[in-house]
Amino acid sequence: MNERRGSLYLLTGLLLGMAIGLVYSLYLEPVQYTDLAPDLLAAADKDQYRALIAVAYLANGDLVRARARLALLKDADPYNALAAQAQRWLAEGKAADEARALGLLAADLAQAQATLLAPTAATPAGLSPSPPAAVAPSPAGSIATPSPAETLASPQPTPSAQKPFVLRKREAICDPALGKGLIIVYVWDAQGNELPGVEIIVNWEGGEDRFFTGLKPDLGLGYADFAMQAEVVYSLRIASGGEPVFNLSAPPCTAANGEAFPGVWILEFVQ
Amino acid sequence: MLGRWIRFLLAIALGAAGGVAIGWLRAPAPSADQRAAQLRIDYQSDVVLMIAEAYAADQNLAAAIGRLAFLHRSQPAEIIQQAINFGERYGYSDSDLQKMRALLNAVESLTPLVGTGVP
Repeated sequence: MNERRGSLYLLTGLLLGMAIGLVYSLYLEPVQYTDLAPDLLAAADKDQYRALIAVAYLANGDLVRARARLALLKDADPYNALAAQAQRWLAEGKAADEARALGLLAADLAQAQATLLAPTAATPAGLSPSPPAAVAPSPAGSIATPSPAETLASPQPTPSAQKPFVLRKREAICDPALGKGLIIVYVWDAQGNELPGVEIIVNWEGGEDRFFTGLKPDLGLGYADFAMQAEVVYSLRIASGGEPVFNLSAPPCTAANGEAFPGVWILEFVQ
Repeated sequence: MLGRWIRFLLAIALGAAGGVAIGWLRAPAPSADQRAAQLRIDYQSDVVLMIAEAYAADQNLAAAIGRLAFLHRSQPAEIIQQAINFGERYGYSDSDLQKMRALLNAVESLTPLVGTGVP
């Protein structure tokens, strides 16, 4: 009996001590983080950091510097992190300028990478543009200020500055594999290169939204899509100019089993 | 009897050491506020530079001050000055320093209006 009591009071002391230790280390003297690197930021702060990189890029046009800064965040795929955040912020209507900057940086990163890998881009054919290669973050030699003089690939100017876009194709398609109730837009330049970062404005009665090409790189740099609501009529145009497309509503389709579903519009613009 | 008390106190001490080790080594993630404010000085300086670059292009001081709030400093001028000092010490380019100084001047010109109530 005495032996068991002895063990129990030691265990009690151990637990009591541990409780005291936890209270001390978690509440009285908690760990103070100092000198953090950006990759250790919380997710929300990482988003904010990424947005700052994008707005700075929008201002200085220095893609090398933007890449070096993005590398500090150690995202597995910087391009997708940017594109996903741009889409998320656009959808949430949050900080439109920053969201636009994120989209443009994502698009320019992808385009620069594609240019480096394939200087003579193939002319797109059909509706399945090849996905771009993943963007590898460049090593950040200087964490604080990458030199602006290091210019490997200059940022792409807004592709539509010179010539307006012309609607080359408008087609309603009933293929559930392509999606349901979507407006799918492809944008190419005159040489047949897919153009990312092209802003598209879609209007409907009482509303307007904007989206960009290049935010879904797996579907192509010049690809963008917009989800239509049932029984709403939309018009669409490229923000920088070109002919608008009117009377876009979800095409009524019927599946093989007789089930009705909304089809997709395919719109192809060429500069 | 005395031996039991000594063993009991030793058990408490051992438990306390274990508790402290668990609390410090397996601490919960700090809050977002702590993390942004605790960036290393070179990263903080680069954040200021990014904001200064954007300000140089859009001249939107309200946006710049809002972005500086990311660093959770009560005085934006103070963190800009700190970044300038860091940049001068570590060889930022003249154009970068110029942008940060322009931002500092703009923020300081607003100081009487802004006071300490930075968002």
